Amino acid sequence: MRNNLVGRKRATQKNLVGYLFCSPFIFFTLVMWIYPFLWGIIISFKKWNLISPRQTWVWFNNYLGVLKDPLLWLMVRNSIYFMVVFITLTTITSLGLALLIKQIPKKYAGFYITGFLLSYVSSGVAYSMVFNLLFAGDGLVNNFLKTVGLKVDWFINPRIAMASIALIVCWKFTGYYGLFFLAGLNNINPTLYEAAVIDGANAWQRFIKITVPLLNATFVMIIVFATITSFNLFTEPYMITNGGPMNATRTMMLEIYHRVFALLQAGYGSALAVVSAIITFAFVWGFRKLIERDDLYDA
Amino acid sequence: MPRGKKLKMPLIYLVLTTGLFLSIFPYLWMVLSSFKVSGEIFTRFWPSKLTLSNYAFILQGGTGQERNFVGSIVNSLIITIIPTISVVFFGMLTAYALRRLKVRGYRYFENIIIYQMLFPGVLFLIPLFLMMRDWGMINNYSGMILRYLIDPWAIFIYIQFFKTIPESLLEAARIDGASEIKIITRIMLPLSKTTTAIVILFTFMARWGEFLWPLIVNKNYDKMPLSVLLALFTKGEYKTYPGVQMAGATLLTLPIVVLFLVFRRYFEEGISFTGLKG
Repeated sequence: MRNNLVGRKRATQKNLVGYLFCSPFIFFTLVMWIYPFLWGIIISFKKWNLISPRQTWVWFNNYLGVLKDPLLWLMVRNSIYFMVVFITLTTITSLGLALLIKQIPKKYAGFYITGFLLSYVSSGVAYSMVFNLLFAGDGLVNNFLKTVGLKVDWFINPRIAMASIALIVCWKFTGYYGLFFLAGLNNINPTLYEAAVIDGANAWQRFIKITVPLLNATFVMIIVFATITSFNLFTEPYMITNGGPMNATRTMMLEIYHRVFALLQAGYGSALAVVSAIITFAFVWGFRKLIERDDLYDA
Repeated sequence: MPRGKKLKMPLIYLVLTTGLFLSIFPYLWMVLSSFKVSGEIFTRFWPSKLTLSNYAFILQGGTGQERNFVGSIVNSLIITIIPTISVVFFGMLTAYALRRLKVRGYRYFENIIIYQMLFPGVLFLIPLFLMMRDWGMINNYSGMILRYLIDPWAIFIYIQFFKTIPESLLEAARIDGASEIKIITRIMLPLSKTTTAIVILFTFMARWGEFLWPLIVNKNYDKMPLSVLLALFTKGEYKTYPGVQMAGATLLTLPIVVLFLVFRRYFEEGISFTGLKG
């Protein structure tokens, strides 16, 4: 009886201290998440130039404007183009990297992992500046290609500008995603491969039937990351192409920035932000439906 | 088969080393170019002579523009270090309250944290800017810092780690009369070295390289972090100064590379449970 009472008193005290410790986080969530989230939605239903006290309700007009603007669909297309190139390239490079590193002794693996991760820590502004010069018309890459009689207008040709940006973002993420694939590979039970070898499966069959399905969680995670990256692209096109040539690298983030902070169209920009979040969610949801499996080899 | 086996390992090392070279090459070129005279940047890989003039130019603020790059490095450090310390502190505090003290409704809080991590940041950009403006925080440090003082991701990975600590350890400390704060600083903090190293590394990297947010909330050249000042400088007056640009890019890259090399052990250890950082 007495014990029970002490226990309850302790629990109350724990709760009090706990809420005290949590209170900054709760306050922060209310002020920096819930409030701006609601306000952002409200602004998207208004016409407002950020400065004047006049904020007129225009309800769904901003959304209609966003959806009617052919630029929206061009931006979505740009992001999908980026996404396809980026996901294909990074999956090949980072999975390849993980598969190779898995086969070398641990003492050398650390050296290679560290080396490949160096590109990941580079900041967007810095590496955009470097690649802008490397891939310039008379830059080092083209000087090298000239020796075999080629010249590529990396960021100038509207048809490949977005792919070039995908290429440099892939440069950044290869080591990082490779590390996730490596962690996934290390989680696969080696006896599965041994059993498959006994059953006479060749290397390709083992890869397709064991490695790929058992890396499902890693694939899902990386594709979700990559999708979010694709629709949130800002620094690279801002630094290198400014959305050009001919809007080929214009992304929704660039457009939101331009609309709100150059044209002062707070309502339109907010509506575009909401639309962009919905599109991103839709793609993430779709990809997960498409590839996520949680019943692998359960039986 | 034996001959194929013999060739396999050298081939793996060859591919890996080529990849490694491609991965490091832009850095190598950046650093070399920052020491080149302007005529050699596009024409030679190895400079024929080294010069410090690019660095001198940038650190003196450019010609006639008086852009304070030394000051911008200090600005970057301010808006990086304060959030990093704060994120670690509140991350531990909140995770401890939720996972170890298990306050009533802690599962709801944990769900909120996961939603916060996955929520698209684009929705907050405009309203947060307006809030900063209304609170008079445009063009000063607080506007650039405030929204980053608490990071749900850090709380999340501290929760993941705190799950693994046995309750008996904490009970023993409580019986000895240790307060909850003491338990955090004396027991939890030393135990979570790896987690803290990861939180510090990722937060430092994110804040140091941050571009869009400080670009929006600060137009004052004297308060600009290095990333923004360098970007405006490169897109503006100094488009045709590649050597100077590369000197700036080197200055922007160097601190995170050093920090990464110091913390790299933790980076690899912790990757399995940092799962949710894009």
